[in-house]
This record gives sequence, C-alpha cells and structure tokens, in this order.
Amino acid sequence: MLPISYNIRSLLVRKTTTIATASGIALVVFVFSSVLMLQNGIKRTLGLSGRADNAIVLSKGADAELSSTITTSQLSLLEAKPQLAQAAGGGVLAVEELVVVMTMDKLGTTGVANVQLRGVPIDALAFRPEVRLIAGRAPNPARNEVLVGKAIRGRFRGLTLGQKFALRSNLEMTVVGIFESGGSSFESEVWASLDDLRSAFGRTGLASSVRVRLSSPDALVAFQKSVAEDPQLGFDVLRETEYYEKQSEGLAMFITVLGMVIAVFFSIGAMIGAMITMYGSVASRQREIGTLRALGFSRIGILTSFLAESIFLCAAGGLIGALGSLAMGAIRFSVMNFASWSEIVFTFTPTPGIILGSLAFAAFMGLLGGFFPAVRAARVAPAKAMRG
Amino acid sequence: MSENQPTTTDRATQGKQVPAIVKLAGIAKSFERGKEQVRVLEALDLEVPAGSFEALMGPSGSGKTTLLNLIAGLDRPSAGTISVAGTDIANLGDAPLAKWRAETLGFIFQSYNLMPVLTALENVELPLLLTRLSSKERRRRAETALRIVGLEDRLHHHPRQLSGGQEQRVAIARAIVNDPKILVADEPTGDLDRKSADEVLTLLEKLNREFGKTIFMVTHDPAAAERATVIRRLDKGRLE
Repeated sequence: MLPISYNIRSLLVRKTTTIATASGIALVVFVFSSVLMLQNGIKRTLGLSGRADNAIVLSKGADAELSSTITTSQLSLLEAKPQLAQAAGGGVLAVEELVVVMTMDKLGTTGVANVQLRGVPIDALAFRPEVRLIAGRAPNPARNEVLVGKAIRGRFRGLTLGQKFALRSNLEMTVVGIFESGGSSFESEVWASLDDLRSAFGRTGLASSVRVRLSSPDALVAFQKSVAEDPQLGFDVLRETEYYEKQSEGLAMFITVLGMVIAVFFSIGAMIGAMITMYGSVASRQREIGTLRALGFSRIGILTSFLAESIFLCAAGGLIGALGSLAMGAIRFSVMNFASWSEIVFTFTPTPGIILGSLAFAAFMGLLGGFFPAVRAARVAPAKAMRG
Repeated sequence: MSENQPTTTDRATQGKQVPAIVKLAGIAKSFERGKEQVRVLEALDLEVPAGSFEALMGPSGSGKTTLLNLIAGLDRPSAGTISVAGTDIANLGDAPLAKWRAETLGFIFQSYNLMPVLTALENVELPLLLTRLSSKERRRRAETALRIVGLEDRLHHHPRQLSGGQEQRVAIARAIVNDPKILVADEPTGDLDRKSADEVLTLLEKLNREFGKTIFMVTHDPAAAERATVIRRLDKGRLE
C-alpha cells in the first residue's frame, strides 16, 4: 500500500484546487450537519417537555392542546381513576391547563408572531419540578402577573422582566418572573394564572388539557382503557412524551426535508468538484502512476490509493464543515411550530453521532466523487513510465 | 533459435558458459495507428546472459523502448515468447505480472521518475512497501541503497532539492533496493551532463561487476554504450 502521506502531500502540492474542493465539501457538510443539529434541537426541545409517567388528556379527536376543550366538571371522574399517582398531601397529581395563542410584536423586526400562553393553576410548579424561576418571583394569584420562558424573554415587546403587555383591551399583564425548564418548549411560552386567562378569554369552566401523573409509566395502557370505556368521558389519552413527539414530527420533518434537499443538491455539486479535481490530479500524474505500476504496484493498489486521496480530501473538508456547524450551537433559531401555531425557539443541538455522521457523509462524497478518477488512474499503463 | 552476435567482447561471460536470464523467441510487436498496423518488432530473438551489462542502440523509432518494455513486462508482444529470470511473462496476468516486476526488476528511467512529494529515502523505500518487511527494516535497506549510490547525506532531500545526477542516483538506489535480478535502464544518462552521466555509468558498472546485477540499457549515447560489456543494435525492428 502506498502511504497516505504520499496522497496528502500530493494534495498539498495542488493547494488551490485542493482548498477549493475542500471548501465546497465543507459547505455541504456544514448545511448537512446544521440541519441534523436543528432537527435534533426540535426533537429535544419538544421531547424534553414530556415525561414518560405523565399522561395528557385531550378532548376526543383533538391533536393538540390548542384544538382541545375539556369541561372541568368532568375532572373529578378522571381524578378518581386508580392508575394515578397519589400526591404527598393527599389527592392525585393532576393539573388542568388552558392554552391560547396571542399575536405579539417581535422585537428586532417589524413583524408580529404568535406566542403561546398557558394558563396554569397555582400548584403548576409542584407538578413540574423541572421548571424553576431564574429571575424575579412567582406570580401572585388574581394580580394579573405572568411568568415568561427564558427562550422568548426579550424577543417580543413587553416580554421582559418588569414590563407589561396587554392581554386584551384594559387588561395588562406584568412579567414578574422568568423561568427555565431544561430547554423544553415551555421556555417559549408565557404562563399566566389559569383563572386570569379563563376570564380574559371567556373560557370559564373550560380547559385545554389535563395532565396527570401516573402511578408508573406502565400504568398508561390501563388508564387509557379505563378512560375509553367510561361513557361519561369523551377524552383521548396520550403519554406526554408521545404527545410531544407527535408535536415535533411535522416541524422536524419540514426542516429535515428542506435541509436535505438543499444538502443533496449541494452535495452533487461538491462531488462533481471533487471528481474534477481528482481527474485533474490523475491527468497530471500519468508518469507518476505509470512509474508506480512499473515498480509493481497493482491496479487495485493504485485504485485504493486514489480513492483514499479523494476520501481524505473530502473528509478534511467535512471536518471543517462539521466544526463550523458546531458554532451554530450558539445561535437561537425561532420558527413557527405548525402544531401550536406559535413561535417556538430552538437551538442547534449537536451530538457525537451527528458529527460522525457528517464526516461519514463527507467521506462517502469522496468515495463517490473519487471513484471514476481512481478507476482511470488504475488503468494507466505501466509503459507510461517510459518517456510517457 | 538464431543467436544475435554482440558487437563487442562480452567481458563478463568471457570463457564461461552462462545461462541466459532473458530469452526472447520469435517476438513481434505491432501497434494500431488508425486503421493501419505498424510493425515495430519482427521475428526477434534475443538471449541476455545472467550477469552481463548490455547496451541496446539504434536510431529513433527503431523499437528500442518497445523491446525494453517487453523485457520489463510493461507491455505484451503480439507474438512470440519472453522468459525473464525463468518466468514466461508473456502469458502472465496483470496482477501476477505486477508482482513479478516488483520482485525481479529494477527500473532506471531517463527522467528519473521520482515521486516529487517524497524524500529521497521515501522514494527508495517505495518498492519495499510491496514486501512484508517491517518499517524499520525497510528504512534500513533504503539507507543502505542510498549509501551504495553515495547519497547517504541526502536522505531527507526532496527531488527538487537534488541535481539531475543525484536524482538519477536516487532512482538507481530505488532500482536496487529490493535486490532485483535484472536492472532495465531507459536512456539513463539522456537528461544528464557529461560529468553526471559518467558518475551514473560508473555506478552501473559497479553494480554489474561488484554486485553481479544483469543490466539491460537502452541508449543513444555511444559513450554510455562503451561502458557496457555488450552492445546490440536495433534497426527497423530487427537486431543487427
């Protein structure tokens, strides 16, 4: 086998074409890796919002909280189910919540976007221990005070600690606290008192969803069966993690398809670039190749060497692209979530698998782009060594 | 089989019956040029005794390089048989032929044909990459070969940092590093000034006399041919 240092040095001799080709590959891998990181960010953000031992109860046929309406009078029937976990102070762990969207002015642009408002009961934080205040204080009931998730803090007019925004005419809400919830989609919401929101939107006696803590994750099936068989309850029950998985599906798919289509077209161009570079390299090294063949290197040895050169070239470009995409981790990306029709903030979330996958993609482009030039190299006659 | 008579006395084999290391019988070689068949070699027989230093001369287009390519297994004859170092190479497949070249031959080219991106030591080590030798042993042998050609102080120089004569000596070191049975040289002094050419020819003589290497050299240069023990002439595809 020819040493890889021979190929690397041969690439360095042709600095301009090597840099141009590697840059093309770097761009493709940057896009590819960023798309995967964003897809992962979406799944992570929405996935973190759910717990395996929580069930979400929606009105029958509703596929999201926004389109679900539950009458609170039915709650006692739900709470009597034996599959629910008991709270320390007695009763079961369950919260009813009202979800609405509201159009607000985006800061930094002239446009508006929907923000999701969640009406939560006073004990909402007890149900979600992962949610914690990072600034300000908890709201007082009946004082028109709200909490804002840290992902949308400062991104909309009035959604900054101490500022106010109008929920409707003559009803101003004051932001008294900022909360975080481990990067989940709740961080893109405004949380108000359930009663304030009901009254503001005329939804007295109604909720969008009820979340219940199951006695164990395995209790879900029995709980679903029990709810389905109860003629007084027209509800659908989903595990909370599955609910958020479904919520992320559409958006993640949209981002992935869009990104992959771009990446595929870019990659075709980059592969052609790599192919042209390698063909040029083979053409200018006919005598070198002929000499190697004369010295006894086999066709397969030459083929392997040139494939390795192409793969190395593309992998080097891929490494630059993948490292560049890591910088996207610092960027917060807001996009409309089709499931909730409201703005949700994501980050580009890298994983070792994404980085390795991106490098493998680059190497694959090198393999594909370098194949035909490598075949041509392998076909160079050893007699080319002689005055070739 | 007709025996071709060398034009000078064969010093290496004088008085002894030495077996031929190269045997060509009834060799013909033609190329297609458009619709035309161009015959380069015709009914050629040749025997080169082991341990000889032979020069092949002839005008341009006489078929010298074609003949050298056939002996070296770089090309195949249109007809006839070629046996080199006991192997019938005319019928070898591509991969066995490459292996055979690696084990049997050392090449010396007119333009040296060193890999520009590799150092002298790495260039000399190239043929050994096809063996199972350890990297330490490969390096030791490459250093020895460079010492034989007098370039032990240029191990880490790249070809561009060497003179033409030094480059050709590196190429000779590469040719001998795997201890081949036969060296084939194509105009080894063609690109060199007289002084460098003399040094290279002296080195080839040394390899022939002291190390017993059979050398088959194509040359235009009468002074180079004079250093060989046998001079053969080729004209219009036939040995004179």
